Amino acid sequence: MTPGAMAGVLLQVVLLIAVAPYVVGVMRQVRARLEGRAGAGIGQPWRDLRKQLAKEAISPEGSSWVFTAAPVVLLASTLVIAAVGPFISTASPLDRVADLFAVVALLLLGTVALALAGLDTGTAFGGMGASREITVAALAEPTILLVGFALSARVDSSNLAAIVDRIQDNPAQVLSPASVLAAVALAVVVVAEAGRLPVDNPSTHLELTMIHEAMVLEYSGRDLATIELAAALRLTVLLGLWANLFLPWGVATSASPSALGIGAAVFVGKVAILAVALATAEVFMAKLRLFRVPELLAGSFLFGVLAVSSSFFLA
Amino acid sequence: MIPALTTGSGAADAVLVVAPLLAPLAAAATAAVLRWRLATGLVTIGAAGIILATGITAATRTVDGTALTIGNWLRVDALTALMLIVIGAVGIIATCAGLGHLEGELERGHIDDTGAHLYSVLVPLFLAAMVLAVLANNLGLLWAAIEATTIVTAFLVGHRRTRAALEATWKYVIICSVGIALAYLGTVLVHYAAQQAGVAEHGSLDWTQLSAHAEDLDPGVMRLAFALLVLGFGTKAGLVPLHSWLPDAHSQAPAPVSALMSGVLLPVAVYALLRYRVIAIASISPEFVRALLLTIALASLLLAASLLITQRDYKRLLAYSSIEHMALVIIGVAIGTRLAIAAALLHIVGHGISKATLFCGAGEILSRTGTTSIAEVRGLLTRAPVLGGAFALGLAALLGLPPFSLFFSEVGLVRAGLTAGLGWAMAVMLVLLLMVFVAIAVKASGMLFGEPATQPRPTVRTLAALPFATAAPIIAGLGVVAMLGIVDWPLGPLLHSASLIAGTP
Amino acid sequence: MSNGLYVQLLYLAVGGLLLSSVLVLWRRELSAIVRLLIVQGTLMAVVALLLAIERDSIELVVVAAEVVALKALLIPGILRRVLRDSAEARETEPLINVTASILTAAVLTLVAYGISRPLVRLAPSIETQAVPVGFAMVLIGFFVLVTRRRALSQIVGFLLLDNGIATTAFLLTGGVPGVVELAVSLDVLLIVLVLQVLAARVRLTFGGTDIDELRDLHD
Repeated sequence: MTPGAMAGVLLQVVLLIAVAPYVVGVMRQVRARLEGRAGAGIGQPWRDLRKQLAKEAISPEGSSWVFTAAPVVLLASTLVIAAVGPFISTASPLDRVADLFAVVALLLLGTVALALAGLDTGTAFGGMGASREITVAALAEPTILLVGFALSARVDSSNLAAIVDRIQDNPAQVLSPASVLAAVALAVVVVAEAGRLPVDNPSTHLELTMIHEAMVLEYSGRDLATIELAAALRLTVLLGLWANLFLPWGVATSASPSALGIGAAVFVGKVAILAVALATAEVFMAKLRLFRVPELLAGSFLFGVLAVSSSFFLA
Repeated sequence: MIPALTTGSGAADAVLVVAPLLAPLAAAATAAVLRWRLATGLVTIGAAGIILATGITAATRTVDGTALTIGNWLRVDALTALMLIVIGAVGIIATCAGLGHLEGELERGHIDDTGAHLYSVLVPLFLAAMVLAVLANNLGLLWAAIEATTIVTAFLVGHRRTRAALEATWKYVIICSVGIALAYLGTVLVHYAAQQAGVAEHGSLDWTQLSAHAEDLDPGVMRLAFALLVLGFGTKAGLVPLHSWLPDAHSQAPAPVSALMSGVLLPVAVYALLRYRVIAIASISPEFVRALLLTIALASLLLAASLLITQRDYKRLLAYSSIEHMALVIIGVAIGTRLAIAAALLHIVGHGISKATLFCGAGEILSRTGTTSIAEVRGLLTRAPVLGGAFALGLAALLGLPPFSLFFSEVGLVRAGLTAGLGWAMAVMLVLLLMVFVAIAVKASGMLFGEPATQPRPTVRTLAALPFATAAPIIAGLGVVAMLGIVDWPLGPLLHSASLIAGTP
Repeated sequence: MSNGLYVQLLYLAVGGLLLSSVLVLWRRELSAIVRLLIVQGTLMAVVALLLAIERDSIELVVVAAEVVALKALLIPGILRRVLRDSAEARETEPLINVTASILTAAVLTLVAYGISRPLVRLAPSIETQAVPVGFAMVLIGFFVLVTRRRALSQIVGFLLLDNGIATTAFLLTGGVPGVVELAVSLDVLLIVLVLQVLAARVRLTFGGTDIDELRDLHD
């Protein structure tokens, strides 16, 4: 591994960690402004994290090591994705690891860890949140696999960097029906996995509706900070993946400093635009009732099927 | 494929081709202007008469295998002439009954002037659409004409605007539109196959061209196309699986309209399949064609037989009997030999006329007793001898009793089936026919001879006699069906000629 | 037009047709469904227009204009009137719930792909490759027709079916001969008009357009 490439990977990880809370901050700020509030500023998530990190973590009585390990597993699995994915550059030495299906498995690992922690607390909310989260994940997972299949079928590889490279070489493919359908399907899944409206409302603490918040209700201090950071990172990673899979322009194809610099800037820009778009859309959306969530995810599954089939018969 | 034929196209022949189309259109225009009155009714009967007359004239011209054509669009051969005769004959019976029907409905206040106006315009249009369907040489035109019958009859089925009539109409329009849309998809596929086979662009939906070049059409595409066509036109002919509109529509429509629908509309859909079979048999394996048609026909027959047994409504009884008879005709088409096709065509003629008289008779029974329930109509023969007698004879014809022609066409079918090595199918058919026979005979004997179980309504002790205008065509129609059974002439040569067109040796 | 661009645009339009059919299953608001039909009509005209440019055919340009007039303006206009009169904004309870319908649509698409294979095999070309989409639309339309209960939904199902057939015709043969095309369009328009009148009568007689109310006639 050359030092330049090492620097690239390092840059990517640091950049993602640094940017992630700001993504959440931007989204909250956009929402606040559109709803006529002043908002706390885009730096507020970082300030919250700093405060929480300085505080002691408390484990509920009767909870086991699962409860304490879950935040670490969640953050670690997300960090691995952040390190290997083609976010800034497709020339990273870790690219061989960045298989689409491996990334999906890592995402699921974090989800399962958190769901187990929710169950481990033994509270009603934790269990309820865990069961809902797993339901959503179980419905979203097949779609990701199908979309992966649709995207990798044309490249003959499920390597993320290879897919991104191919689309960059061949920009007309972005508008092929398979690609458009896959983009729609994956967008729904990203929203579901990141726990955003209309699947889950990240700012609610109403017992009837919350999913993610119900699981992390018992966390405090450092552990909470870890989870919040991991959640923000997950959102950033998902948005970044979506952006680079369907709009791959600007991703560096070499490890030269200038290319990496451009790649980093473009990446931040793309994620910022997507975050603003998502937040704007959320303002106009109501959360779906829980039993209608399967409808949405079945829809994205259908798009996945259509993407796969059209990548075969319209190619 | 087609027996040696010469194509005539003199001016007199052109008139012969166009006249059956223009006559009902003119009648519709007259009715549109003059609204409902006796004169418009007579004009409509006249139009039906012209269809019959041109059908007979065309038969004499085409019986030797000639085909009269106008461009690539219209064509009259022996098969068309036969269908024209059926349309004309059933048309005369139905339009005659229509006179009395409309007067009665107006008197009782079931419909108003607007309703009568609509009826008198739509019936001749209905005739025109069916005539166009049998005249069409272009398969697209054939499709459009059959689709047009759905549109025209929609408001005829729902003519009385009751809840039940409305329900029947909705089902009728939705199911038939879907069915016929599937037939259109089939037509599109045939067009595609023809284009790929290099049949000239303007002639690629031309039946003459297609049947001449049928061997060149791709079997894979044609198999799909033919299945869709059988499903689609089968819907219109009341065959399973999209048959459920038929009993509702036939029982709710005014009796003369039911007569037209059952007597000719269903056969026109079968006629379309007959034309397509000529193409299909040459382009795809004959076994596939036969198996497909036989399956659908036997399933329809089974359905009709099982629902006839439990039937409590005599108009629905007649409707299911129509499904039964169309299934028999399709069995003939499935067998496909010349004898079978001739028998099927004779069956169409016999069924058309006798079913038309029965529906008109049923309409008269309904208007006199006010009920369509089999259980509530009792002792018809003593209470209204002429009406009851005609109804009884019509049922006898329908059940295939000699001397009526349906007996001979059914015997012909069985003979053709046995010759073609379809003994098992014939055995199934005969068992189901026996079920039908028992079912209808039991219900009919109650209606005709039974004593009223409860105190009869005071007004209906004896029923009003049949008016001459309605009785004459009914009795004449039954006479014709009986005569066709007894003598070979005049239909024999025409049937032979038509079976040469549609049948395989 | 360059070949690559032609393929791109054609497949995009065809993909849009499939997408709009599927979304009909998803949406419950009848007004949204009518909007989807407008989109679908426009996309069909785009397909016809692309074929017209590719084949230098004036006739197809006329057909495209007719498709826009009929399927994007006239028929949706009629449906809007049915909707406005009926005051029923939503498909309340389809016989099969939306999730299952959507999954069924996925299966139907695969079935469509299966049954249209002989068609593609006969003459593989850019256009015929896309024929499965037409068949999928036909099947989805049929599915809407048998599982939805509002009168308007059933009309929509029929129109989807018809659009699917028209799309298939365009893709396979560049449309049927002009006279037939005209007759077909006229027939579709008349059927929709008949259904509009019937829907109004159903509403007056039954007090709603729930087709499940229509069950007086049975054996």
